[in-house]
Amino acid sequence: MVLLDASSIGVGPRVGVRMPDRPPAHDAFERHVLPEIEVLLRVARSLTRNHAEAEDLVQDTLVRAFRAIDRFDGRHPRAWLLTILRNAHINRNRRRRPELLRDPDLALERLESTASGDRAESSVDDAIDSEILRAVAALDEPFRRVLELVDVDGLTYAEAAEVLGIPIGTVMSRLHRARARIRDRLDRAGIAPRRSG
Amino acid sequence: MSWLSTMLRPRPGTPMDCRQVAQLLQHYLDGEVDADRARRIAAHLDDCRHCGLEAETYERIKAALAASQSPLPEDAVDRLREFGEELVRGDPTTP
Repeated sequence: MVLLDASSIGVGPRVGVRMPDRPPAHDAFERHVLPEIEVLLRVARSLTRNHAEAEDLVQDTLVRAFRAIDRFDGRHPRAWLLTILRNAHINRNRRRRPELLRDPDLALERLESTASGDRAESSVDDAIDSEILRAVAALDEPFRRVLELVDVDGLTYAEAAEVLGIPIGTVMSRLHRARARIRDRLDRAGIAPRRSG
Repeated sequence: MSWLSTMLRPRPGTPMDCRQVAQLLQHYLDGEVDADRARRIAAHLDDCRHCGLEAETYERIKAALAASQSPLPEDAVDRLREFGEELVRGDPTTP
């Protein structure tokens, strides 16, 4: 039996209330999984580029995590969950036509619609941001995906590697090449910070 | 990243040159270098206009992308949290 502090379960001042046993796995799920829901949804949105699909994918991930929580050692829960999410995404994609998975125009639309939101910036800054977002949209999918996971969703290199199922060195090289291409585009457009040479 | 450590690790306390900074710059901006390297890269960027401008460009790219992140729909987050809590409660309507 687990002895709970009554105040923590909202039953007033009585102390020492005994609650029915809860499997430790349930505690682990609440402690390790539920706090990561927002990160999972952000990553799922980047992977699916669709709000409804992203929510379904996270739901799948939660179910898989719940079923596997007994076998989780409690270390690096985000990495563990991102691996589950990746596998769930792969399984879901097997049932879909590949051309439905990638829509660069939609990605650009999303990036531009948010970039042009309510930020009050100078026209020069807007021009730089627009050029950056166009350059991102022009990247090949593997490069754009890494860039979005790291720079938009805020994942570490290791976490992005987990999501994509690729070595961390590949994450780094794709990321660096993607940014170099964007920088070159800014150079060509004459709007990158000028270098003294 | 052992290969990276081996190839690019200057001796602690020694200044970094432009080539070393160029190779580590993006790792630095992504927060993926240790404190000693971060300190020496920052010192180099303060002194070197070329590398400083390079860093400024990459920071600008990162900032533009970070700002492009649209907020998560709160109702979706709430639904998923509720879904997760129902799993724990063993709600019969959940899979």
